[in-house]
This record gives sequence, structure tokens and C-alpha cells, in this order.
Amino acid sequence: MSKQKTEHRKMLNATQGLKNVMGRHFLAIEQAYRDGKPTAWATSGSPVELLYAMDIQPILPENSATISAAQKYSRDFIEIAEAEGFSYDLCSYFKTNVGAVISNADLTKGGTGKPTFMLSTDVICDTHVNWFEVQAERLKVPHYTLDIPHVISNTNNRQYNYFKKYISEQLYDFLDFIQEVTGNEYHEERAKQVTQNSWDLSMVWQDIYELRKAVPCPMSTRDTFGGLFPLFTMPGLKEPIKLYKRMYREAKKRVDSGIGALEQEDFRLMFEGIPFWYNLKFFGMLERWNSIIVYEPYTYAFSKYMNPKVTKEMVLSQPIEAMSELMLSFWYIYDLKTRIKKFEETVREWKIDGVLLHENLSCRPNSCGLYDLKRHLMDDYDIPCLVISSDMNDPRKMNETQVINQIESFIEILRKRKKK
Amino acid sequence: MQKIGIFDSGVETPEEIVMAAGFTPYRFFGDPTLQPDRANEHIPPTHCIWTRNLLEQAIKGLDENIVGIIGTHGCDRTNREFDIWIECLNLDFMFFLNSPRKRDNLALNFFINDLKELILRLEEVFNIEITPGKLKDAIITTNKIRKLLKEISDYRKKLVLKGSEFHELVKNAQYQDKNQVLENLEKKSEELKSRAPFSEKNIKKILLTGSEIDDTEFIKYLESLGFHIVIDDLGVGTKYFWNLVDENSEPIEALAKYHLTKPINSIKYPSYERFNVLQKLIEDYKVDGVINIAQKFCEPVLYDHPYLNKKFKELEIPYLFIEATYNRESYNQLSTRFSAFAEII
Repeated sequence: MSKQKTEHRKMLNATQGLKNVMGRHFLAIEQAYRDGKPTAWATSGSPVELLYAMDIQPILPENSATISAAQKYSRDFIEIAEAEGFSYDLCSYFKTNVGAVISNADLTKGGTGKPTFMLSTDVICDTHVNWFEVQAERLKVPHYTLDIPHVISNTNNRQYNYFKKYISEQLYDFLDFIQEVTGNEYHEERAKQVTQNSWDLSMVWQDIYELRKAVPCPMSTRDTFGGLFPLFTMPGLKEPIKLYKRMYREAKKRVDSGIGALEQEDFRLMFEGIPFWYNLKFFGMLERWNSIIVYEPYTYAFSKYMNPKVTKEMVLSQPIEAMSELMLSFWYIYDLKTRIKKFEETVREWKIDGVLLHENLSCRPNSCGLYDLKRHLMDDYDIPCLVISSDMNDPRKMNETQVINQIESFIEILRKRKKK
Repeated sequence: MQKIGIFDSGVETPEEIVMAAGFTPYRFFGDPTLQPDRANEHIPPTHCIWTRNLLEQAIKGLDENIVGIIGTHGCDRTNREFDIWIECLNLDFMFFLNSPRKRDNLALNFFINDLKELILRLEEVFNIEITPGKLKDAIITTNKIRKLLKEISDYRKKLVLKGSEFHELVKNAQYQDKNQVLENLEKKSEELKSRAPFSEKNIKKILLTGSEIDDTEFIKYLESLGFHIVIDDLGVGTKYFWNLVDENSEPIEALAKYHLTKPINSIKYPSYERFNVLQKLIEDYKVDGVINIAQKFCEPVLYDHPYLNKKFKELEIPYLFIEATYNRESYNQLSTRFSAFAEII
């Protein structure tokens, strides 16, 4: 097979369309600024759908930070933030954003303009709130934060109920905040359309994930790491649904024809955590050992509708209540007990040989519990795991040689297990 | 007496509920002479050194009278790490209290619900009844402690009481039997009335703020360099006693209100309001400077520092920010920076 054909098999052709879809997102942001339409920064995990429903143009600074990293600007931006007094140990997404704003970087370098207001939530991490508090003060814009109670291993149903109530009340309060700041009103019909699109987008993404159960796996992280972005930035729009459907159809064809993303697939891996956006070639390097990542909880997590209690009917008829429920129950924030259970199920269903766990120096909430997760997976379920220490956006914190050596040894362990 | 352990990176746990349940509230403190070797098997070494230290002690074995633990939401560390505490300890009562980050009315109603749930769980597990009367009695006791601590705290301003001595008193109040605490504080209060002030010569009056500082030896170390902590903004300090709980309101609501209206710390929203708290203390206590200590990897304090730095510069108030490691050997490594700061002020 020619080199060109091999390359084509690695990434889906449809995924190339991501550039256009994301390009439209950035054009919409520019257009909003030109037209004087309200804009809002939002942290991941926040209900971006509500922004679309009230005709606010969302901007996701985390998404922009990944662009800075992929284009090798993050290090410079981070160092600018550190010169402002922000510690070496703080979140590298946050520092990338601080540096990008100070540098007045344009959208293509991961810049984010001054918004009309900011929306943060601590559902994923406290940093999100601190980040926007810092930036709202520096840019002098209003900031609304959603305070999300934390579910732990022994949270009971009684608690769940008043947790949801607290979130719902804040979401309604947030709608008032938007109206007060922008004058835009909440329209139920528009909200219904947006949530319908958000639901459809997530469902196609989940269908794509189902296809990744196939051996050989039809697609790799080349499709999913970038493919994830519309789930963050455009839940509620139609365009990304079309893109995901094209990705699904192409991947399905591969599955039906027994074609995988790799010429030869020896090892199927899972990658837990945020990727190293400044070094995505690292993931391609796994192919050296005929290894492919077939599941990333991170990219799956944001197809948020995975709680069986939240039906499509509920999402459409009671969007606020549905969002409240969802904010307490998605992959990224599972308590330790649920996390272990979900990992075990996933490893079984996706026929995974080994799990790579990213101990992310920037994301302490995500890396907390990783050691216990690893111990349970290895001791209770005989699942090989490897912890890699690095950072999602700060290239200074990655020792590539060391990580490659660790993975090489890990693959050897997997190879020996297969021979048994 | 049986105790309920408190894992709290702030002082957000209503001790009165524990007292009304018939237990002694026992807040966990770190031991800076201890290496968190076993905790490091659960929590990466780049995470909060103080909470790892607490887990280390818990794994090695808690006081045998501790029959349960309340983990209270402070920063990110608490909720994720509490699952690890559940994993490592075998206690029937393990409750995570979601102390809200916001302080508005919605948060207040939520916190009242969470306090009610805490009461319900204590009643279920220990087969007891926590009545409004018992809660009121507990509130009266803790308010007496708060009043005494505030009164004693002022002897720091009068240069009668050293910051380290006061620090130890507040720390003891957070884990010893409350009746004993009350007795000790009453004695101390009497004793201080006749104690002569120490010399003001060469003393730099400081406001101490930052992460939880629970090692009294650290305060003594600052004193050895010529600093005197006239006032602080710490959990082992003013945050524990500054306001009083309303004794005339419904007790659960009064407790929730107390915690949501006391001087704000870095882990609450909006944390920048903390500057106003500090500014008021600076004016009232006429300090020479502010020392802000961030324990290594203490994110809330690290996020606030540049803002505070900017504001103190605007007001021309000397300000020193230090990232410290939680072990006593490291204190001396900071002496150059502290000495330079002392020179400036």
C-alpha cells in the first residue's frame, strides 16, 4: 500500500471537515464582535447551550488555550503570566489565557477578546472560577459562577435531590443575570431547538464511540482529540452534527470492511486525562508499536447525555432540570468508586489491553485518585496501567524521552501478556 | 469522650452540630516533622502538601476515640481526597459537607439543607437525637469561646501576648473538649489582665495571611526574626472566632448564616473580597506590613497573590509573598527573604 493511502487510513477524511466547522465558530465570534452581539467566555462543563439559547456567542478559553499549545505559543504565554506573579504550579490553560490576553493574541493563536460577561463553574475544578475571577477583574466585565456541589462515593439520593435543586435555582438566576447584562431574553422554543441539537450532537458522538469497540478500531486520537472541540464550543448548533454524521458514516464503512486506523493493530489502549496539546505527535508515535488508543474518557465525557435518568424528552421539556442533573453526573467528575467501575466496564467493552493514566501537573482534580484507580484496576481486575507524569499545555513539564521509555516498557509487558 | 474528626482546609465545619450529637469536634492538624510517604501512594507529590500530611496521619492510625469524620469542602483537594479517606479508613461515619463556594441566599438555603443532612446522618449512624435545644446550648458555648478568643486576641495588639502563644490557644480550641477550652481561656484572660507588655523596640507589626498555617513553630520562627503578629486572617486565627452565631434564631439557619457571612477566605467566591477584609485589619491594627504565606501547591492562595500584590502596591503597604514547604527544615531557607522584608519596613 502506498504511503499516501496509509496516511488516509489513519485519519478519517471526514475529520478534515473539522477545520471548516471550527473555522465557522471563530468567524461567528469575529462577527459577534463586529455586530456588537453579546459574547461570553465559558468554562468547560458549563451549560453553553443556555448561551446559544439566549443568542449569546460563546467563547471557550480552554479551547483557545489548546490552539496556543498546538501552535507552540503556550510556553511564551505561560511565561508572560508567570511574570505577572502567577505561580509555576498553577493551571497551564489559565496561564496560557492570561498570557494570550496580555499579548493581545488573535484567535488563530489562541487569543480571546474581551467578552460581554463570563460564565464559570466549579463542576470540574476550582481553577475555572479562580481563572475567570482573575480575568473578569483584569478585563472589568461581569462574571457569573455556578457553584456545583461535589458528589463523592457515599453521596445518597436525598443529597442528590437538594444538590440538583441548588443548581437549578442558580441556572434560573443565571438567566436573569444574562437578561440584566445583555437585555436578551430566554425563549423556550429557541431553547428547545438548541437542546435538541445538543442532544443529537452528543448521540452521534456516542455512536462514533460505539464503533471504536470494533477490532481493528476504525479511528484514533487523530480524529477524537480535535473532534471533541464542537462538543465544547458548539453544543446547540446544526453544523457539527453534520460533521459527526460524516465521521460516523466513514468509520462505519471501515468497520464493515474490517479496516482499522492502523495497518496492524496489536495493542488497544485507553488514555485517561487531557492530552499534551503541544505534542500531539506523541500519540502518533504509539503506532510505532502497533498500538492505538481506542477510548479517552476525556473526549467521551463531553457528550454529556450519559445519565440514563436524563431522557431526550426531559432534555427538551425541562432543559434546566436536565442540565442540573447532568452537571452532577458526567465522566469527568465521577467519584472514585464510580470511576473504577466505569473504567473496568470500558476496558471490557472496548477490549482494551492497557490503560495510560495522565498525571497532569496542571489538573489536580483529575489526577487526584489516579493512584487508587490504578491500584484497583491492576489488583482487582488485572488490567495493566501506566501513570505518565506531564502537563496538558506547558511543554516545560514534559520529559518526552522518559515518557517514551516508560511506554516502551509498558508495551513490552502487554506483549508478554498476549503471548501467555 | 468520643470524637468526630474534622478534615477541613478552612474552618467551615459547624462544630456545634458535633457537640450537640454528644461528640468532641476534633479538627485534624498537620505534623510538619512527618514525611507523607504513605499518603504519596494515594496522592501525587505535586498536590497540597498539608492535606497529604493529614492523610498520612490518618493512614498511620487516628486517635482511638475518633468514631467518624466530617470532610468539609474547602478547595479542590477536599472532595477528591475525601474519597481516598473513605478508601483508606474503616469508620462507620464519613460525611462530606458541601460548604458552598458562594455566599448568597441560594447558597444559604443549600447549606441549610446540607447541615440538616449532616444531622440526619449523625442521628442515623449513632442512633441519637440532635435537638434544637442541644444545638442552642452548643452555640452558647462556642460563642463564649469566640468572645474570649477575640478579647484575648487584642492582647496581641497591646503587645502583651505573642502571636505564637495566641496561635496555640486557637489551635487547642479546635480539637480539645470545649468545656476544657472554655476553662483554659477564662484563666488565660484573667492572667493577661495583669501581664506587662513587652518592649516595642525593633518589633515589626505584621498581619499574617495565606494558607492554613497550623505549625506554631512557624510563628515562633517569624518572631525570632523580629516580627510580631498583631493580627491575622487565618483559620487558626481570626476566621475561627471573629463573628458570633445568632443565639436567638433557629439554630441550623443561624449556623449556616454564621459561616456564610464571616470574613471571606480564598476558597470562597468572590475571593477578591478578601482584600477588603485585609485592608480593614491593616487600618484597625496599624500594621507595618503584610506577610502572605502559600503552602506549596495551595492553589486558592496562589491565584489571589497577584491581585493582592497589585492592591497593596497601590496603597503602598509593604507586602511579602512566600511559597513555603510544610517542613521545619525549610523555614530557615526563607530567612533571607524575611530579613530583607524586615529591612524594608
